[in-house]
Amino acid sequence: MRTPYAELLTVLARHRGVLGSFVVSERDGIAVDSNVQIGVQAEAVAALAASLHRKARLACGAAGGGKVTFLRLDAERGGICAAGRDDLVLVTISESRANIGLLRVEMMRAAKALT
Amino acid sequence: MADEIRRLSDDLARDPSSLVFMPLADALRRAGQFDVALRVALRGLDRHPYVADAHDVLARIHADRGDLERAADEWEMALRLDPSHGQARLGLGFIDYRRGDFESAERRLSAATDSDGGVATALSHVRSALAARSGGSVPAGSPSHALLQPTSPPIPEFPAPDLSRARQLFSPVLDDTDQTALLVDGDGLVLAGSHVDATGSDVSEIVAAELAGVSGEAERAMRHLGLGAWTSLLVEADGAVIAMTPAPLGSLVVVAASRETPVGLVRLLLDRALTRARDWLARVA
Repeated sequence: MRTPYAELLTVLARHRGVLGSFVVSERDGIAVDSNVQIGVQAEAVAALAASLHRKARLACGAAGGGKVTFLRLDAERGGICAAGRDDLVLVTISESRANIGLLRVEMMRAAKALT
Repeated sequence: MADEIRRLSDDLARDPSSLVFMPLADALRRAGQFDVALRVALRGLDRHPYVADAHDVLARIHADRGDLERAADEWEMALRLDPSHGQARLGLGFIDYRRGDFESAERRLSAATDSDGGVATALSHVRSALAARSGGSVPAGSPSHALLQPTSPPIPEFPAPDLSRARQLFSPVLDDTDQTALLVDGDGLVLAGSHVDATGSDVSEIVAAELAGVSGEAERAMRHLGLGAWTSLLVEADGAVIAMTPAPLGSLVVVAASRETPVGLVRLLLDRALTRARDWLARVA
């Protein structure tokens, strides 16, 4: 079934180095829609990304930093980016060669349209 | 002390343009609340940039934070504004002494007037240190002799920084008042550092608790993806940028800066805080 997020996930997936993207519910960690390459364990990663986003949101709130707009988890060969709105979080998985700056702008713009 | 701080805070709130920020900042410094003291002093100096005593107070805060370079800058500014400022000379002498430049310390302290509290005693200690270094004898039983013994505390007349306090672990690597750093263990308990929110409240424990388990989840996510070990987590929010990185013993170094701080600078700050945390953990663990 095609969801309202299919198009934006497709756009994100076209970025260089992006292995996949999905929209996940922060509350329960369940992926609402995804567009990932074969071999990517979308469900497990979606749940973990949602949990990280939630922890970051709570920590930011406690620190008086306000609402989280963008999150980036870096690893040796790539990482995860997340941008949320209300309960929904847009997540991308990327390799090191991805242009994170461009991806960030695209994700923050797309996150504003999440409903 | 708490009553004094409360009273001075009330006074400052009633008249923000008054000079009461100086005793307030100094009281906060003496209470070990360096971040808040620094904020109060800097705000006061925005209004009163030409008050030598205000620069002296700020210098003492920097010195207690272990930032001798900035302390020296402020004491030099105090001296430029008031060439007879004895406490500034005493402070600069202290810094020279700490750097092992006893000759310069002696010159500075000799130029201070007799009425400056502590100058004569400090000068005596510096001369003793000079004599000891050049192989001269220091009379047994003299105060200077006692102070030069290995088990003696540092010269008490100087505002010696206390870097052993874990809460101030990261003070030397933080560049301005909007930056904070924390070292959090795997259970979300604060090991070192502090985080003060915009109202001046210390919210370190709450922030640390909310971050419990972050390291484990980041590690699991990366394992599922086969992208290697996680190196950092950067969170951009409306009013702050928060960055964290794994540290030894399953701990987490967390730094926070205002939203205006460039992200690259936050990452640099994170690297510096991590280096300091590693050193500290190696000593205490």
